[in-house]
Amino acid sequence: MGVVLRNLQKVVPIRRARLRKDVDTLRHILGIQKFDLGIICVDNQRIQQINSLYRKKNLPTDVLSFPFYEDIRPGKLPCPLHRDELNLGDVFLGVEFVMKQCQEESLDFHGALTAVTAHGICHLLGYRHETDEEWTEMSQREQYILSEFNRLTGRRLEPMMKKCSQDSR
Amino acid sequence: MLKSVVRAVGAAVRVSNATVTSSVRAAPLRCPVLCAPSSATARPFTRSLWMLSNSGASSGYRPKLFSSKVLTPSISCGCGGLHTEGDKAFGDFLTDEIKEEKKIQKSKTLPKMSGGWELEMNGTEAKLVRFVSGEKVTVTFNVNNSIPPNFGEEVEQGQQKPAEEEPEIVSTPNFVVEVTKQGAKHSLVFDCNFPEDEISHGEGEEESDIFAIREVSFQPEGDGDWKETSYTLNTDSLDWALYDHLMDFLADRGVDNTFADELMELSTAVEHQEYIKFLEDLQSFVKCT
Repeated sequence: MGVVLRNLQKVVPIRRARLRKDVDTLRHILGIQKFDLGIICVDNQRIQQINSLYRKKNLPTDVLSFPFYEDIRPGKLPCPLHRDELNLGDVFLGVEFVMKQCQEESLDFHGALTAVTAHGICHLLGYRHETDEEWTEMSQREQYILSEFNRLTGRRLEPMMKKCSQDSR
Repeated sequence: MLKSVVRAVGAAVRVSNATVTSSVRAAPLRCPVLCAPSSATARPFTRSLWMLSNSGASSGYRPKLFSSKVLTPSISCGCGGLHTEGDKAFGDFLTDEIKEEKKIQKSKTLPKMSGGWELEMNGTEAKLVRFVSGEKVTVTFNVNNSIPPNFGEEVEQGQQKPAEEEPEIVSTPNFVVEVTKQGAKHSLVFDCNFPEDEISHGEGEEESDIFAIREVSFQPEGDGDWKETSYTLNTDSLDWALYDHLMDFLADRGVDNTFADELMELSTAVEHQEYIKFLEDLQSFVKCT
């Protein structure tokens, strides 16, 4: 089935085709093309609601991931037995939050959104950043993904973990 | 974990395909009496009563109020028409209903669409027109049958619900976007809708886009009949990358989530206005002015 893309908000205009293309490039780099995943763009109100409900943090944030496989080892792809288990889960992108950050730091919005999506997909693949070791492992993975992305596309994206966004899940 | 969008999407498509088009007002003024026990607690307007009960309309039962007087008109105005006690009660009921509906009417004027859209009305059909660099973009919709049935939990008999929990009546019509380029014989036509799970009243878990494209085809420009022989692209089984490009194409022409949201507001206002107009016409007809 591939990537299910949903835009549930009206605050930030989203170029859907561009976002899908970038997500497909990330999937190619990670070798996860055969897995389905959901990318859902939401505004601050909605992501705050989800953050509050699932993480007890009543604040908007940039990305929240909901892995289909919750106990896989980082970097080890799941081995599903059935077709309907070829699913990694969903990444909720707080596009309003990301847009505000980009405006404050004069960053390219779609580039930042791709970096944030890469971070979210890493979580779907079992990466965490609750301890220093986990943070280093995830940060290295993100750096690798984005350097490959930049090599393939000629763009210059930077990993979001450089800024140590510990709030993201 | 949230219900996966990926896993839910198949089901969502099925739900949206099985759109129930019958309006809750398909049988206007047929069942308020039948519904009274459950709905009188909610909102004292007939619209709410119909929303909260579908069973009355389809039960086959017809209240026989006033039936004994049908053949014996008790009021005469010299117009030659039939006037019964029932008509009088009906007229009085409509007076109250119109008063209540006017009370909750947000504004007598229709909300303006942002983005330079010009509105033309023809009965229940609205047409929005906009010109973008030599291209003409036309959006048409009809407010008839545009209020989806209430999927919320049914109000239990005798159980009071606070008024603030009542779902608002929102009109979500299918709409057609027609893009015409200068000198072209054909327009590119998008048949769009508001998927139902997005407008559900439940908490969270609304996985559909605010609006969706259902079909795309080329059609002769203008109001003529659509050619059934034109190839029609159905988006149910479409490559998603192509679908995204089509959505971006519309967004570039001013048809995006903001537009869809404003269209919903406009359609709701038009629908309410037409409803009140209908009640007034009905009242005049019943009362025989």
